[in-house]
Amino acid sequence: MTIQSTARRPVLTGTRGRKTARRIALFVVMVVAAIVMLYPFYYMLNNAFRTAAQFDQQIGHSVSSWGRLFQDLPVAREFLNSTLICVVAIVIILAVSTTAGFAFAKLRFGGSGVIFLMVVAAMMVPLQSIIIPEYVNLARLGLVNTYAGAILVYAALGTPFATFLMATHYRGISDDLIEAAIIDGLGYGRTFLRIALPLSIPAMATVAVLQFIQIWDDLLVGLLFLQNPQQRPITVGLAALAAGRSTSIPALLGGSFLSAVPAIVVYLIFQRYLVKGLTLGMGK
Amino acid sequence: MSRIVLEGVTKQFADETVAVNSLSLDIGDGEFMVLVGPSGCGKTTVLRMVAGLEEVTDGTISIDGEIVNDVDPGHRDIAMVFQSYALYPHLSVYDNMAFSLKYRKTPKDEIRRRVGDAARILELEPYLQRKPRQLSGGQRQRVAMGRAIVRQPRAFLMDEPLSNLDAKLRVQMRAEILKIQQSLNVTTIYVTHDQTEAMTLGERVAVVYHGDLQQVGTPRELYRRPANRFVAAFIGSPAMNLIKARLVQSPEGSRHVVEFGSHRLALPERTFDDNPRLAQYVGRGVVLGVRPEDLEDASLAAHPDPQAIIELTVDLLEDLGSEVDVHCSGDLMQDTSDVVGEAADGSADELAQKGRAGTVVARMNRHTKLGVGDTARIHVDVGELHFFDDDTGETIAD
Repeated sequence: MTIQSTARRPVLTGTRGRKTARRIALFVVMVVAAIVMLYPFYYMLNNAFRTAAQFDQQIGHSVSSWGRLFQDLPVAREFLNSTLICVVAIVIILAVSTTAGFAFAKLRFGGSGVIFLMVVAAMMVPLQSIIIPEYVNLARLGLVNTYAGAILVYAALGTPFATFLMATHYRGISDDLIEAAIIDGLGYGRTFLRIALPLSIPAMATVAVLQFIQIWDDLLVGLLFLQNPQQRPITVGLAALAAGRSTSIPALLGGSFLSAVPAIVVYLIFQRYLVKGLTLGMGK
Repeated sequence: MSRIVLEGVTKQFADETVAVNSLSLDIGDGEFMVLVGPSGCGKTTVLRMVAGLEEVTDGTISIDGEIVNDVDPGHRDIAMVFQSYALYPHLSVYDNMAFSLKYRKTPKDEIRRRVGDAARILELEPYLQRKPRQLSGGQRQRVAMGRAIVRQPRAFLMDEPLSNLDAKLRVQMRAEILKIQQSLNVTTIYVTHDQTEAMTLGERVAVVYHGDLQQVGTPRELYRRPANRFVAAFIGSPAMNLIKARLVQSPEGSRHVVEFGSHRLALPERTFDDNPRLAQYVGRGVVLGVRPEDLEDASLAAHPDPQAIIELTVDLLEDLGSEVDVHCSGDLMQDTSDVVGEAADGSADELAQKGRAGTVVARMNRHTKLGVGDTARIHVDVGELHFFDDDTGETIAD
């Protein structure tokens, strides 16, 4: 006797089918986007392991270009310069933007609305339009070709957006929380340090990552304010390498790849904070 | 423990809105005072001024005889429980409760003892190391209470601390708050818009409306002798029926009669004996107030007075099990003034639009046989009627 199974296989309904198709389409789009994003890195890395001749013919691999890169460019020194400038500028940006953002969001003082508007307006000013007056000012102060000069410029450029972001973040913190701390006996200063600041780590991380990427990758400010080879950051070093009489493209690509790595690493470490920070004020 | 006195306290904001208008209130040592009123009436502003979170525009606030108008919130020695609980999200339950003590340089052993005691009272011991996000709403509320208790302050200020809880938990926490307040005997100002909460918690209740203090008294006083039609409409659920009426001398005899629409109710002699001011209103319009529980199905009334019966049509029945709320309509006009509308959490226009202008609510014996569409013979307990001046809204009483 044969037993026939009466169990039916689940039917792929129209809605479910459409959902699957949408998922596949989305996956394809994401893969294409990933290829577009990753290809430059592949291109840089692949060609960095070639000599100039191999690069022209696109055949074979070699490590000799890396040797040339480290010979022509004080890579470690320039990395150190970039790191120093980034870190100090970000510390200044965070110190100013967290305190100013808290003040704009939680303190009542005359003219706060107008001042905040001016801060927001400062975000709209393109760097290129103020770079000459900046140069003149710093030259008068004797800060051209000093770390301090470049750091001040980067801090000044990054602070408006950072203040805007921090103020938005602090507005999202319930006033009750601040008032509870005030009633608990803390002044505004300690309330900021003990309550507001620990709660703003995601926003601070967002500011830090965005500013790090911006400052690390910047060329213009470094080119103008740090012309001394001992103080120049990696981007200026690479630009100098590119401007040389016999530019080795593979060495340049290797340097470019190396200079991109820290920004990527910083982004990967802080990306979960970055998403949180960028979606501030978008609901609960 | 302390006495809190507000004298002519006024709060005017920068946009010239007067949130609180010359409010005076004397809250005794260890007293549980509830400030109640509709949203936006200024009750929270009063609390915030006592806490020091809002500046006082005029008048004085004193705690234990010391005027605190210019004293920082942190130096007033008061603890506040917020509607949102305001727990520090990055700190554990223990650290939340110990927070203010640490900043007051209380010895560590003392902090441990006080937090431990509060946690035991509030049954929070198993949760001391958890973060607020890991707690339920009721537990968070208890932590907020615990944070206030450990301070051992001169006064507790509570700003609608139960409004984020569901109905069942709210009733539970209400009892807990009352128990804690009574055992600690700390002067407490409690703000709520919920009149049931106000009536069940408050030793005395202050009713605030549009920044003005309407009446202060025990829950019973507010219920039995409302000072004006706002208090009458606000206190009690279902609200007191307020009907446009007229006091007249009965043509048949010496008894006075109150008329509304085609209805007439003969008033007992003692109404005028107890309240001689009513005589000034004979022949004039008044607002008649009748509590729903003073309206009964005539067939179930113990000793029905034939001259105290009105006939209305039943529109809706709300069977509560122990009693039945019967919504009736008929030839009568409810008082639909703004004051009454806002007390009922809706504007007068809304009342009129909903066709409630001619509606009264009666809370009847659960054995009533009335059904929707029936003509109900309703017995009015004429000894329990309230009368209000139609122009001023003030109660007509000596």
